[in-house]
Amino acid sequence: MTVAPPKISLDDYSDTQTFDLNAAIQHISHWLPTQGPIKDFIHHNTLHAVQHHPFHKGVAIAAKVFGARSYLPAADYQAMHQQGRIKNFAINWAIAHSGCASAEIPALWKKLFAVDSCDHYPPVSLANHGIRNNWLTYLEVDLNSLAHPLLFRLLANFLDQGISHWTLSKADESFWECVWRLTHNSLLPLYPFNDASVRDLLSLPTHDVILFCLQRIVGSPAWYEQYLLEMLLAHPGWAGMVRLIELDPNALLEHRQISLEQLIAVELLAELAILTKKRGVNFVSIAQTPHANDIALLSDYEDKAIVPLTLKVWHEAMEYSLHSELLIALKSQNGSTKPKETPIVQAFFCIDDRECSLRRYLEELNPAIETFGAAGFFGIDFLYQGFDDAYPVAQCPNILTPKHLIMESNLQPEIDKNAVSEGLSDLHIKPHSLFRGWLFTQILGLGYAVRMLWDVFRPGSQLLSIKKLSEVDAHTHLHLLRENDELTADGKLLGFSLTEMADKIEGLLRNIGLTKDFAPLVVVVAHGSSSTNNPHFAAYDCGACSGKPGAPNARAFAWMANHEGVREILRERGIDIPVSSHFVAALHNTSRDEITYFDKHLYEQYPTDVLQIFQKTMQDALQKNALERCRWFELGPTAHSGDEAHEHVVTRASSIFEPRPELNHSNNLYCVVGRRALTRGLFLDRRSFLHSYDAATDPEGQLIVKILSAIIPVCGGINLEYMFSRIDNSIYGAGTKLPHNVIGLLGVANGVEGDLRTGLPSQMIEVHEPSRLLIVIEQKTALLDKAFAKLDAALKEWLDHDWVRVVACHPDTRELFFYHRTGWEAVELPLDAITPIARHSEHIIVGQQATIPVHLLRSNA
Amino acid sequence: MNSLLLACQILPLLGLVLIALLGNSEKKIAAISFWTTHAMGLSIISLLVIWVSLGFPDHEYEWFTLYERGSYQFPILFYLDRISAVYLFAVWLIFSVIVRYCRNYLHREAGYKRFFMTIFGFALGLNMVVLSGSIDMLFAGWEIVGISSFLLIAFYRHRVQPVRNALRAYTVYRFCDIGLLLGAWMSHLLFHESDHFSNLSVLFEHSAPTPASYPALFLMSMLIFIAASGKSAQFPFCFWLPRAMEGPTPSSAIFYGALSVHLGVFLLLRTMPIWSYHYLTRTVLFLIGFLTVIIASLAEKTQSNIKGQVAYASITQVGFMFMELAFGLDMLVLVHFLGNAFLRCYQLLVSPSIVAHMLRIEGAIDRTPDVKPSSMQTYLPLSIRDTLPEVLQNTLYVFALQEGNLELLVRSMLWIPLKKIGANINRVRVSVKISVGVSALLVLIVLLKTALINSTYLAAPVALAMVMASLSAFSQKHSFRQVWSAVALSALLAGGSVWLLQPTALQDLLFFSTGIIPSWLLGMLVLSKLPKKENFIDSPFAYRGMAETNPKLSLVLFISFLGLVGFPITPAFIGEDLLLYHASSQYAWMAALIAICFVINGIAAARVFLRICMGRPSEISELLKHTA
Repeated sequence: MTVAPPKISLDDYSDTQTFDLNAAIQHISHWLPTQGPIKDFIHHNTLHAVQHHPFHKGVAIAAKVFGARSYLPAADYQAMHQQGRIKNFAINWAIAHSGCASAEIPALWKKLFAVDSCDHYPPVSLANHGIRNNWLTYLEVDLNSLAHPLLFRLLANFLDQGISHWTLSKADESFWECVWRLTHNSLLPLYPFNDASVRDLLSLPTHDVILFCLQRIVGSPAWYEQYLLEMLLAHPGWAGMVRLIELDPNALLEHRQISLEQLIAVELLAELAILTKKRGVNFVSIAQTPHANDIALLSDYEDKAIVPLTLKVWHEAMEYSLHSELLIALKSQNGSTKPKETPIVQAFFCIDDRECSLRRYLEELNPAIETFGAAGFFGIDFLYQGFDDAYPVAQCPNILTPKHLIMESNLQPEIDKNAVSEGLSDLHIKPHSLFRGWLFTQILGLGYAVRMLWDVFRPGSQLLSIKKLSEVDAHTHLHLLRENDELTADGKLLGFSLTEMADKIEGLLRNIGLTKDFAPLVVVVAHGSSSTNNPHFAAYDCGACSGKPGAPNARAFAWMANHEGVREILRERGIDIPVSSHFVAALHNTSRDEITYFDKHLYEQYPTDVLQIFQKTMQDALQKNALERCRWFELGPTAHSGDEAHEHVVTRASSIFEPRPELNHSNNLYCVVGRRALTRGLFLDRRSFLHSYDAATDPEGQLIVKILSAIIPVCGGINLEYMFSRIDNSIYGAGTKLPHNVIGLLGVANGVEGDLRTGLPSQMIEVHEPSRLLIVIEQKTALLDKAFAKLDAALKEWLDHDWVRVVACHPDTRELFFYHRTGWEAVELPLDAITPIARHSEHIIVGQQATIPVHLLRSNA
Repeated sequence: MNSLLLACQILPLLGLVLIALLGNSEKKIAAISFWTTHAMGLSIISLLVIWVSLGFPDHEYEWFTLYERGSYQFPILFYLDRISAVYLFAVWLIFSVIVRYCRNYLHREAGYKRFFMTIFGFALGLNMVVLSGSIDMLFAGWEIVGISSFLLIAFYRHRVQPVRNALRAYTVYRFCDIGLLLGAWMSHLLFHESDHFSNLSVLFEHSAPTPASYPALFLMSMLIFIAASGKSAQFPFCFWLPRAMEGPTPSSAIFYGALSVHLGVFLLLRTMPIWSYHYLTRTVLFLIGFLTVIIASLAEKTQSNIKGQVAYASITQVGFMFMELAFGLDMLVLVHFLGNAFLRCYQLLVSPSIVAHMLRIEGAIDRTPDVKPSSMQTYLPLSIRDTLPEVLQNTLYVFALQEGNLELLVRSMLWIPLKKIGANINRVRVSVKISVGVSALLVLIVLLKTALINSTYLAAPVALAMVMASLSAFSQKHSFRQVWSAVALSALLAGGSVWLLQPTALQDLLFFSTGIIPSWLLGMLVLSKLPKKENFIDSPFAYRGMAETNPKLSLVLFISFLGLVGFPITPAFIGEDLLLYHASSQYAWMAALIAICFVINGIAAARVFLRICMGRPSEISELLKHTA
C-alpha cells in the first residue's frame, strides 16, 4: 500500500483506553435476537436478554430498550372481563399478588376500568430516542436510510446461501477482507468506502477502526457502548444473525467468516463516509451536540424501568383466570375415567398442543386406545440425512448435540430422476434474465397464465408440488444399526449399537411411565406440517425436532423397539415387551390432518387386525379434529360435516394464496406433566402440551428433571415466542407475512432492503391469547424441590422469575400448589367455581369462535 | 360495443366507489370486488369477442367533450385496436387472478378495504390508459396508475422504509411525467385537433413530408422515451422497481411483475408512428433497451433476495422489448409482453416458496464459493476462463452489486443540484422574501398600468419567481405550511406568467385556479389543525402517523394533495394542460419550465403528505411516565 494510513496514533484515542471493546460487544450481543437461518426454526424466549430479571421487571426493561409494548392494550383486557373470560376473583388474586397497599386497592380497581386510548403506544425507548437518534436529528442526516441499504446488501450477498447467481465471499475470506477487496481491488470502488476519509482505514484491523470511528462520531468513551447498542438496535435482525453465525458457524450450510466486530467496523466506516460526504470533515460529534448530556443512558433504563401497575394486574388476572380453568377442572375430576379394559392399542404422541385434541378424539371414539405424550423426538437424538437430502439435519431439541448420524436409503434401486425433474416444471423458481430468459418468456410465458389460473382457482391440485420432508416415501429404509465404530468425517457415529438403542428406548418408556402392560400394538405418531408458499414452514413442524417433522424419530423408535436384540437387553433391565407387541411408526400431518404409516413392509409381517381398527378410528378422529380446527377459520366451511372440514384443511395446506395453513401453537397455555388419567376426559381446546409421567415410577425425581429440562425450553420457548410476538408484532414479531421477501435463504425482510424480521408473523399469532405457560406437574412438592435444585441454572431462572408458571398437583389427593421462588403456595380456588360438563367434544365446539373454557366430558352428562 | 367500452371503464370506478361507501366488513368488500371483477371481466370478454367478430377493426369512440374553448378541446375519447385488445386481455386475466388470490391472502389484514380500493383504482387507471383515444386521456390514466402504485408501496405505512420507497417511486414517476405532460402539449401543438391515436398513423402515412419538423418530432420522441423509461424502470431509472416491492406480494406481482411495468411499452406501441419515422430515434430507443439489458441482467446476478431478482429479470425482458420495438417488431413485442407479464406475476406470487425449493429440491448449494460470472465464462476460451483477473471480477461484482450506480447518478444529476438551489433560497428569511415579493408585485402593477413595457417581458420574472417557489418547496424540511404555500404559489405564479403572455387566456386560468386554490386552502386547514405540540423543527424526519390518529383529516389532506398536484379529480388537471397549451403557443421554453415546476411541486407536496400521514404514531404512552 503506497498511501500512508491516516494519522491515527495511539495518542488520538488514548482516552479510549478505558473502553474495552470486547466486553462491550459481549454486553451488546446480549440484547440481540437469537433467531437462526429460517430453514430451522427454534422457538425461544424472545426476551432472553432480560431473563435474569423477574418477568414483569424484565418485560418493562425490554420495553424501554426496544420501544415495544409490554402488554395488550387495557381495552382488550376490559373486553375480556366483559365477556367473562377474566373473573373478578382473578383480579382480586392479581391485586393481592401485586404488592399494592391495601388502602390503594379501591383506587386501583377504578383505574383498571378507566379508558385510556394512548396506552398502547410504545414508550420512549433507547432504540428510538437515544443519543444516536437525538444526534442525527440535530445533524439532519437520515443516516439509517443511507447506510442500511448499503450494509444490508453487502451482508446479504456475503452470507447468501444460494439465491444470487454470483457468490460474493471467497473461501476463507472474512467479511472485513471482502469489503477491503471490493474497495481496494476493484476498478469501480465500493460506495461509500471509496471516500478518501475512510478508504485507507479499511487496511487497519477492525479493533482500531472501531475505536477511531467511535472517537470521531461519539467523542466520549462513556457513550461508546451505548452508541454501538443503539446503532445495532436499528437493525436487530441482521446484527443478531451475524452474532449467531459468529458463535455457531454450523448454522449456515455454506460457512461464512463473519463477526459482530466486523459488522460494527464496516457499519461505522460507512457512517463516517456518509457523514463526511454530507456534512463535511468536521461534522459535529455526539459529544459536541447541545443537550447530549440530557439523554438517558442504558443504565438509567435498567434501573428505572417502571412496571405499569394496572396493566400488570390485568395481565396477571387474565392469566390466573385462564389457568384456574384447568386447576378447577383438575380438582373436580375424579380419577375414575381410567379405562377399565386393558388397552388394545397404545399410541405415543408428541407433547405438542396440536396433538391434544387428536388424542382426545381417539380416546372418545375407542376407549380401548391409550395415549401417551412425550417430546416428539421420542428420546432419540440424531442427525438425519434423508434419501434426497444433501445435508444432514439434527432431529432433536437444540439443547442436545447429537452424536449419531442416520442415513436413509432406498429399498428399490431407482433410476436417477433428477435430470428429468430439473426440467420444465420448475423453470419459474429462479428468474432467468438474459437470452435464455428472452426465449423462455416468449415461449413459456403464456403457459404460466394457465398455471396461474389453475393454482388460484383450483388449489390442492398437484401442479405446484414441492416435496416436503414430511411426505416421506414409504419405500425407504433407515440405516440404524451401527456396523463399526468408525467416525464419519464430521465425527459422528453412523447408526446406533444395540445397547445404545436399548438406552434410548428405555429412557423414553421410563419417562412416560410405561414399563409393563404393553398393548399388542403400539403406534408411535410423530408430526409434521405441510404448507405451500410459506417461508416459515419450519416453524410449523415439530418444535422438539428443531423445526423438522418427527418422522425419522418415530421410524427409528419403532424399528428399535421391535428389534429382538434390543428387547433382550430391555428385558434384562426389567422392561419386558412381550413378543405379541409390535411397534408401528406414523406421521400426523397437522395442517392436512392426514396420517402416514411407515415401513409397511415391516408391519405387514404382523397380524394387522388391531392396526386396521386403529387406522379406522384414526381416520374418524382426524376428521373430527379437522372440524374442531375449522371453527377458527373464518373462511372455512360453515356446515358441520367432517368431510367438508377435512377437505377444507387439505385445500388450505396446498393453496398458494393461503397465509394460514394452520394456526400452529396459537393459544397454547397449559403443559400437564402427569398420568393421562389426570387429563383424560377433559376438553382442553387444543391448548395443552401433554407429557406422560408417572410419579410412582420416579421416587428420586430424576425423571422429572429430565422431562423439565426438555419441556421448559421447548414448550416455554414456544409459549413466550407466541406471547411476545402477539403483544408487539412489529417489534418482537415479524409483522404481517404478506410483504415478506426471502433474503439469501437466511430469513425474511420487508421489501428488498429491509432488516431481517425475527419472531413470528402476524398470521401465526393473531388469535393467540398471550399468557404464560402453566406447567402442572403431578408430583409431591417436596420431591419437586429436590428436582428443581438439580435443574440447570439457566432453566431454574424460568421458574424462579416466573417466565413459566408451575403448579404441583399431589398424585393422590390432587391438592394444588403454586410455585414461587419463596416457596409453595396452596392454590385456593373459589368454592362456587365449577367446570362445565358436556357429553361430546362436538357439542362444545358448535358455533364457538374464540377460545373455550375447559370442559369435563362425561358420557352420562 | 361503445357501451361495453364504457363499462370496462366505469366498472372499476364503481367497484372503488362501492367499496368506499359500503365496504364496512371484509365479507362485503369481498362480495363487491367479486361481482365487479366478474362484471368487468364479462364486459372485457364480450368486448373482445365482438371486436374479433367484427374482424379486428380499429374502433374509436368519442363519448363527450369535457372542456372546449377556442381551438382547445378535451374530449373523452376511447380507442380499441389490437394493441389495446392484447393489453385488455392481460388486464382481465391478471386482475381476476389477483382479486381471487387476495380474497384469502389479505384475510384479516388491517388495510383490507384500503387495499381493494387502491387495486380498483389501479384497474381504473389501467383501463383508461389502455383504452385511451388521445394522449390527454392516457395521461389521466397514467396519473391514476401512478398514485395507486404510490399508495400500495406505502401500504404498510407504519414502517419508514415502505414510505420512503413509495416516495422514491413517486419521484421517478413524477419526473417522467414531464415527458408525458410536455408530450401531450406537443401533440396539441404538432397535430392540432388530430392528436387522436386513431389519426396518428394516417397522419404519418399520407403526408409525405412529416406533419412536423424533424427536430420537433425528435424532441417529442425523447419526451415519450423519458415517460416510458420511467414507468417501465428502464435506463437510467432501473433502481426504483426492486425497491417498490414493499406492498403485499400480490400487489407487487400485479404492478411490478405484470402490468404497471409494461405500461411504458404500451406508450411506445401507441406512439409508434411518432418516433419510428427516423433511424436516429430508433437508435436511441435501442440504446435505452440495450443499456438496460446489460445493467439489469448483471444486477440480477447479484440479487440475494428473491423479489429483487425477479424485478431485475423483468426489467431485462422489458429492455428486450424496447430493443424489439426499435426494430419495429411490434407483434413480437405483444407476445413477449404477455409471456413476461404472466411469468413474472406467477414468479412473484410463488416467491415465498424459494426456501422450500432451494433446500428441498435442489438440496444444498452446489455453487463454488467465488465470483463466477458463469454466463460470461462459458463464452471465454478455456485457457483464460479461470484466470480472469481478480480485479476485473471484483469490478464486475461491484458494478452488479451497486446496480450500475444508477441511483447515485440520477440523484447527483437531478436532485442534488435542485436541492442545493432550493436550500439557498430557503436561507433567506421569510420577511425578506415577502417584502421583495410585494415590492416586485407593486413594480409589476405600476409597469403594467403605465404600459411602459410589454406584458410578455414581465412573464420572465414571474416565471423565475415560480421556479424559485418550487425549489424552495422542494428543499424545505422544517415547515410544512411553507411547503404547501410555496407549492400553491408556484402554481398560481405559473398561471400569472401565462396570463402575462396571453391575456386572453384569463378564463382558462381562472378555471385552473378553481382547482388549485380550494385544494391549497383545504390543505392549510388540515395543517392548522395539527396538534400544536408537534414541533416540526425539532424532528424533521419523524413520520407523524396521522392516518392512524386522525384518518378523516388525513383523507382530507390526501384529497387536497391530489388537487394541488393536478391529479384528474379537479379542474386543475385540465387547467395544467390548458396552461401548457397557452404558454406553448407563445414560447415553448415557458411550457417546459412550467411542466418542470409542476413536477417538483408534486414531489414536495407528496413529501409533506407522507411526513404527516404515514408512520407509527409518535405520541408516547404517558402511562409509563406517571405510573409509579
